[in-house]
Amino acid sequence: MELEGQDIAYRYPNAAADLFEGLDFRIRGPGFHALFGPSGVGKSTLARLLSGSLAGQRGRLNARGMHRVLYTYNLERLPGWTTLREHFEETASASGRPRLETLLDTFDIRPLADARFPRLSLGQQNRANLVRYLLQEFDLLIMDESLANVDEATRHRILLRIKALFPERCFLYISHNVAEVARFCGDVLVLRGHPKRPPLVVVPGGDQREGAEPDPARLERAMLAIVHAA
Amino acid sequence: MLHRRLTQFFTLYAAGVGLLLAFKVALGLSDYVIPGPGEIWRTGQTYGAAYAAAVLNTLGVAVLGHGLSIVLAAAVAVIARLKDWIGGFIRTAAFNIQSYPIVAVAPILFILLGDGLATRLLISALICYFPLLLSFLGVFSEPVREIEHFYEATGRMTWRLQIKIRAFENLQKLTTVVVGSATLAMVGTIVAEFIAATAGIGYSIRIALYQSDLAKILVALLLIGVGTSLWLVLLEGLGAALQRRMERP
Repeated sequence: MELEGQDIAYRYPNAAADLFEGLDFRIRGPGFHALFGPSGVGKSTLARLLSGSLAGQRGRLNARGMHRVLYTYNLERLPGWTTLREHFEETASASGRPRLETLLDTFDIRPLADARFPRLSLGQQNRANLVRYLLQEFDLLIMDESLANVDEATRHRILLRIKALFPERCFLYISHNVAEVARFCGDVLVLRGHPKRPPLVVVPGGDQREGAEPDPARLERAMLAIVHAA
Repeated sequence: MLHRRLTQFFTLYAAGVGLLLAFKVALGLSDYVIPGPGEIWRTGQTYGAAYAAAVLNTLGVAVLGHGLSIVLAAAVAVIARLKDWIGGFIRTAAFNIQSYPIVAVAPILFILLGDGLATRLLISALICYFPLLLSFLGVFSEPVREIEHFYEATGRMTWRLQIKIRAFENLQKLTTVVVGSATLAMVGTIVAEFIAATAGIGYSIRIALYQSDLAKILVALLLIGVGTSLWLVLLEGLGAALQRRMERP
């Protein structure tokens, strides 16, 4: 599966200039990749274009075997009238439902399953939000700061578990944490602001797997390449 | 809640009556113009029960009219939240019509329907309908993106779910609007009874007005205030109970 962008450009209505232009990239699945870049460079906009929740881009987006693209972001909320478990059970896809119990443990949500969303801390809310997306049918899941406010150890454990639980899916992880994307992601798509050319470069990341130790030399190379590119 | 609202009302009422009595003393007005406290008390004892029944009658019509308005406003707002021409048409019409004083069309209803329940009900409903509609429109037209995104993205969004999300997220606002418009419904019913009724406290006030009997009017105002306060407290209680039920831990 693959999602390819050719010469992608986007300008918000009434904006004086393009947010970005001339983006060429290829997201290959399955895999766990990252979209990295400074604030305001257009990461979330690009993610919304890829998922189809925003339209109006110029250029070509070609999907090959990657048609169900979901986009989730860290400010999302679950409705406050149901408990987490009720919500997960109501909204899980048929294929996702058997994963529920595993995900409750992976995300440390089980003790909170009978609570309502507004009662949770920000980190718990973000974890709960991500769980429901992982219960859906998708080819590509774009996670926009989805693990914000989650402590580092839990975040790393979750990233490794996601990679282990969904080896056949594709992920695009948006984060400002350079060490994290360098360590856990396969391809790191670095979106660069004006006037840098090309506007997007791809840097190979460490792509650490569960049970494997990170390779310090490879990690350092990846981090330096990302920082240099950004 | 009841205690607070009744205290507020009695304070206001006592201040109003006190001001009238101060005028009476300051200007040396006769009991015919402004009755003394003794006469107001005696009038209360004589007419209190009958006026209480009349207030209940008015309150019944107001509750009915208010309920009718809530249902209609909610239904129209659900349709008007749509982005197409019908939604735009309803929104524009509602904004324009609400700026017109609805009470001015009361005589037309009186001519068409005569005096009686239908006219009272219709005027009561009309007076609180447009403020309700505009508030419902505001709530139902405003997306709650942080919640709706998931349902849109996964293809699960239905119009019922969309309304449920927006209503739940704005429950406090909706309760305030419903409680606020309840007073309007009461005002509408009393206005209707002034011009087109043979029952209700508005009708009783009209008779007292013809008799220039301020004591009766003051007794009627006291009972209207108590009746309206009780109703508003009941509505606030229902709103709070609904919110508690939906947000239970």
